[in-house]
Amino acid sequence: MSNTNESNFYQEYEVFSKKSTKSPVQHQFSLLAPNEEMALSMAVENFMRREDVLDVWVVKRSDVRRMTSEERAQWTKRLDNKDYRKTKGYGYLRQKWKEKEQGMLDEKEILSWKEVKK
Amino acid sequence: MTVNSAEEANQDVAYSKALKELIYQLADDDFLISFRGSEWLGLAPHIEEDVAFSSITQNTMGHAFMFYQLLEDLGEGEIDLLAHERHPDVRRNGIYLEKRNGEGNYLEEPYYDWALTVVRHFLYETFKKVKLEAITKSSYKPLANIAGKVLMEQPYHLAHWRIWMNQLLNSTEEARDRIEARLNEAWEEFGDVLEFGFQATEMEHFDLIIGEEELKERWMDEVAKTIPNLPSEPLGKKFGSGREGQHTEDLDQALATLSEVYLSDKEAIW
Amino acid sequence: MYNYIEYGSSEISNDNIDDQEKYEQFMARIEVGEKIEPDDWMPEDYRQGLIKLISMHGISEIMGALPEKEWTPKAPTMKRKLGIMAKVQDEMGHGQLLLRVAEDLMQPYGKDRGDIMEDLLSGDLKFHNVFHMPTKTWADAGMVGWLVDGAAIISQTNMLDASYGPYQRALQRICQEEVFHAQHGEAIIMALAEGTDYQREILQESLNRWWPSLLMFFGPASADTTGSSKQNIMIKYKIRKSSNEELRQAFLDKYLPRVFSLGLTVPDETVHYDEAQEQWIYQQPDWNEFKQIIKNKGPRSKERLRLREIAYENNRWVRQALAKDQVMT
Repeated sequence: MSNTNESNFYQEYEVFSKKSTKSPVQHQFSLLAPNEEMALSMAVENFMRREDVLDVWVVKRSDVRRMTSEERAQWTKRLDNKDYRKTKGYGYLRQKWKEKEQGMLDEKEILSWKEVKK
Repeated sequence: MTVNSAEEANQDVAYSKALKELIYQLADDDFLISFRGSEWLGLAPHIEEDVAFSSITQNTMGHAFMFYQLLEDLGEGEIDLLAHERHPDVRRNGIYLEKRNGEGNYLEEPYYDWALTVVRHFLYETFKKVKLEAITKSSYKPLANIAGKVLMEQPYHLAHWRIWMNQLLNSTEEARDRIEARLNEAWEEFGDVLEFGFQATEMEHFDLIIGEEELKERWMDEVAKTIPNLPSEPLGKKFGSGREGQHTEDLDQALATLSEVYLSDKEAIW
Repeated sequence: MYNYIEYGSSEISNDNIDDQEKYEQFMARIEVGEKIEPDDWMPEDYRQGLIKLISMHGISEIMGALPEKEWTPKAPTMKRKLGIMAKVQDEMGHGQLLLRVAEDLMQPYGKDRGDIMEDLLSGDLKFHNVFHMPTKTWADAGMVGWLVDGAAIISQTNMLDASYGPYQRALQRICQEEVFHAQHGEAIIMALAEGTDYQREILQESLNRWWPSLLMFFGPASADTTGSSKQNIMIKYKIRKSSNEELRQAFLDKYLPRVFSLGLTVPDETVHYDEAQEQWIYQQPDWNEFKQIIKNKGPRSKERLRLREIAYENNRWVRQALAKDQVMT
């Protein structure tokens, strides 16, 4: 019998997956595996048995620098004074354009410009 | 030569005989190995593997289902009858695939051997890949289509068992010894899996599949990619040929288990 | 699928809340529905209560795979074989999710999955009472899928808003899969209920046998019944919302009308819905037996633990082999 300690078998891996070409990679869950090859081989069937999957990442948990509890509490709060970064800060333009009988080039409009006339 | 439907196939007695023989092999192989897989459920070396292994088992039983469906279409009887009621003499799975998972049984003292499981699945999935690849060019189109479909999800199976094989061969001495012992054993028993049985000549003649020898070579080449030091002896078939209806007590045990409820009330719809 | 309701014997107390301020912040967070993450500060009795609850829940899934697994290779058709395999696989998968959550909570104590398995085998970690019972016929596979899972769905959905983030997220996944389980169980039962005399017979016999276990599923109504109950702390900390008895009533509400609609009966002539009290009246199961069962003295406790033990010990060489620092790939 080998004397190797079994607990090395239980390494923690975080599992991420991508559902479609248009979707971002998303965290799924974590699993225990002895190495990344095994982790990858088990990931899909453990967490995505009933959904489409195009790509899977496994990352050793110890390689992820995540926020600590304090950092989450302290670094993720923002003052609500940043309208200038958002369209919300420019909403008055709708009325202006309306006066000039023009439509507002809002998100819906701009993202619809996939095609232009040939 | 192309045959597009069951009706067409059945017009030529010699053709349909060879065709059915081939499909029975495919169906029974997948059914028996997935039955052995179902006995493992809940008992794998760790939980994540249990879940992954079960998906492979389910996929494989799903493949058996599709092959039995082809037989049903050819007039052989309905799927569950084919799976549950056929006598061992007409079962066509390779004998190595009916082999018990180890000592004991799944209900009591299941001293199942993971080394056997890894070796068996690795050898079998490699075999299945080369056999199905050859069948994608089969003259019987419904079968060629199913082979193509099965090959879509089967690469994951092979990759999974290849990882296990690789890792256990390259870790502790104990693991290597266990794998090598099971490999040597497989070498004595796997021979008939690679055979086509009574209709071998006809299968090739009717372009249902490539010849036995060629398949065997392809299989050996594939296996050697993962296992550099293969046993040097020629492949044996210690217990005879499952392709010719010879089987062991292990098949009796498997059939008694898998058909226990089915046979408890044959009038019933379950 | 199977949540174990707390009825341990030792009370955990917050002896030294050295930081009253942290405690108050913690309570304020869970009051407004914030989720607690593994590395957040938490009261010791919260952590310990969760470890007990979730490791028991997780290991019950793993042990719960075994009774149905007895019928998996025997399932009567190929479709049933596939369905029950997928179902039992999910139980293992739920065990995986839950044990991961428990393992992260146990990390400060230097414990891992190996310890959970050892604790199960030594009897320190209990598993749910229903999984100590035998399965005798195929109808039991249906009964476990339908009513035992049904009871589990009631108790698990009750915790979908649990204050502990990882548990809440695991339960979300689990409950989504339970929808499949419920229908899988119903399908088996429906075929039997509409089937031959033999099929109806094994179905009724199975229900008769499972009835006391189903009542016991939710645990005793109060601490008086078995000596202790920790349901209150789980409610206080917003892990679950309802009491054992409320959950049992919800189960009877949802499932008894369905049981009767299939022409089945339960082995308790007193069962009825009392309009005035707005609750189901039923005969109490034998809570002394229950106490024996959860001490691993149930009809199949030893055998099921033995299976788990063999699987664990017999595969040790595999885990040792792959635990080596460098495995060539």
